[in-house]
Amino acid sequence: MEKLIEILEGLQPEVDYETVDNLIDGRYLDSLTILSLVSEIEDEFDVEIPTVEIIPANFNSAKKMWELIERLKEE
Amino acid sequence: MSYLSIYYLFLVIPAVVIIYSIVPKKFRYIFLLLVSFALFFYISKKLIVILFITILTTYISALFINKLEEKKELLLNNANSEEKKEIKNKFKFKKKLLLIIYILINVSFLVAYKYLNFFSINTNLLLKLLHIDYSFKIIRIVAPIGISFWLLTALSYVIDVYNGKVEAEKNPLKVALYISYFATLIEGPFTRYADIKDSMFAGNNVTYDNLCRGYQRIMFGLFKKMVIADRLNILVKIVFDNYIEFSGFSSLLGTIAYTVMLYMEFSGTMDVVIGSSEILGINIKENFRQPFFSKNISEFWTRWHISLGAWFRDYIFYPISLSKPMKKLTISARKKLGNHFGPLISGSIALFVVWFLNGLWHGAGYTFLAFGLFHFLMILLGNIFTPLIIKICNKLNINRENIIYRVFQSIKMAFLVFIGEIFFRADTMQIALGMIKKIFTDWSIRTGEISSLGLDIYDYIALLIGITFVFVISIFKEKNIDVRNEISKKPVAVRWALYYILIFSIFLLGAFGHGYVPVDPMYADF
Repeated sequence: MEKLIEILEGLQPEVDYETVDNLIDGRYLDSLTILSLVSEIEDEFDVEIPTVEIIPANFNSAKKMWELIERLKEE
Repeated sequence: MSYLSIYYLFLVIPAVVIIYSIVPKKFRYIFLLLVSFALFFYISKKLIVILFITILTTYISALFINKLEEKKELLLNNANSEEKKEIKNKFKFKKKLLLIIYILINVSFLVAYKYLNFFSINTNLLLKLLHIDYSFKIIRIVAPIGISFWLLTALSYVIDVYNGKVEAEKNPLKVALYISYFATLIEGPFTRYADIKDSMFAGNNVTYDNLCRGYQRIMFGLFKKMVIADRLNILVKIVFDNYIEFSGFSSLLGTIAYTVMLYMEFSGTMDVVIGSSEILGINIKENFRQPFFSKNISEFWTRWHISLGAWFRDYIFYPISLSKPMKKLTISARKKLGNHFGPLISGSIALFVVWFLNGLWHGAGYTFLAFGLFHFLMILLGNIFTPLIIKICNKLNINRENIIYRVFQSIKMAFLVFIGEIFFRADTMQIALGMIKKIFTDWSIRTGEISSLGLDIYDYIALLIGITFVFVISIFKEKNIDVRNEISKKPVAVRWALYYILIFSIFLLGAFGHGYVPVDPMYADF
């Protein structure tokens, strides 16, 4: 989880990732940042995020992203 | 046939609703399927065969993909980790091959009916230029009604099954209804199987509440078309057909009128589609979300024809920008160019494909391609200059949330949309470029020019009332206030008074009679 927060802060430093739970709906992360984010997560955690998983519900908070990574790792 | 015709609204819909209510619940979706086929046959006759082929290939492909997935899971249960990888790769290849064959078969219909002539004409021109004595035959063919809509709807279902987002449907009649549902058949919106399946096949009862809400929505759509769109059609036709005779001011006015007309006609049709489905208890997502309240052109296209944008985003933009080579490019570019410009390269490549196809989707012609590429360029420039604009605003202490800044943004956004729509409406590139040139260079308004645009003072008053009414409703929607809900809380006398006002205003202000030409259902041609 720490590594994920590190990636997020590297992409968009002005957000408190421990508390914000509307990263997509609140327009904190735009579509270009998502492209970087997905590439960095896949690179770092050795998972493949299918495009169907790129939905606000999975990316609205660091916690949700972490849950997605854990789930993809299991698969 | 138009969804906004009196015949459809007050004969077809009531008849469908009455019979739908009488038919037993579990057969209601079959009745809707029969209505859909009847509508298709009524318009496109024997071309219904193409629809049947799409339905059949869609149904079979999705089932096969599901079967492959089940077989894979079975084999994985008894395999060690080495074998698991091999099994996964093997099935991934089979599934992909099946998907590609399915897409090729169905897209070939679209190419044959919509683009073959365009390609043939251009190839002939090229051959002539190269002094090659050969030319392809140009055959005039009529495309099956709504092919651009139902075909992409079908593709989305199979791709969703491929991605594991939905289970393949075992009942072929349900797949057939999903693809050919009469309310969305001709002008969309694109629905997704996962979103619509529950309400579409439930055979929900027609309730008094749904009937009221549905017809309110339909009447609102009719108001937009008859009071505003049909009236603006006169002005738009005169300006676009004779732009040489008018000043840049009239060209701009004609362009604004066209954009407003397109919005009123298309969103009005969506009101009918969503309203009539609401009566039948079928939930369809909104296709417009107050687009003119957007901050920039990029946001505009997430609020206008939403389902088309979402289709391109999910099935073109993300698959390209998140393909393996693109992801590699994003990571390495980010290291060199930083957080903003790093992902911009892969994002822009995907965006180019999206807007190229978006232009082509609207029609086979250079004006439509120009329409797509114009938007690609504007969105790209917006992305490139965003950091610089933020920097300048911060330096000059300009608050970007300030109302004046927001108004400036909206005017800029609207102007770009208007310019884009010139390409969309103009018959040739020469007309489009000629009008744009006039807008920027010729502001010499001739005497009597305004009165020669085909509308009289009564028309302008009706337009002012109509547009103000739609604008007020849009503000409520933007503030998340459901006007129809608010109306339902009012006493019965007030409610019916409001209904009558709406109905009478359509009769009173509607543009019918001598001199008016109803606007064609524009999106039905795509």
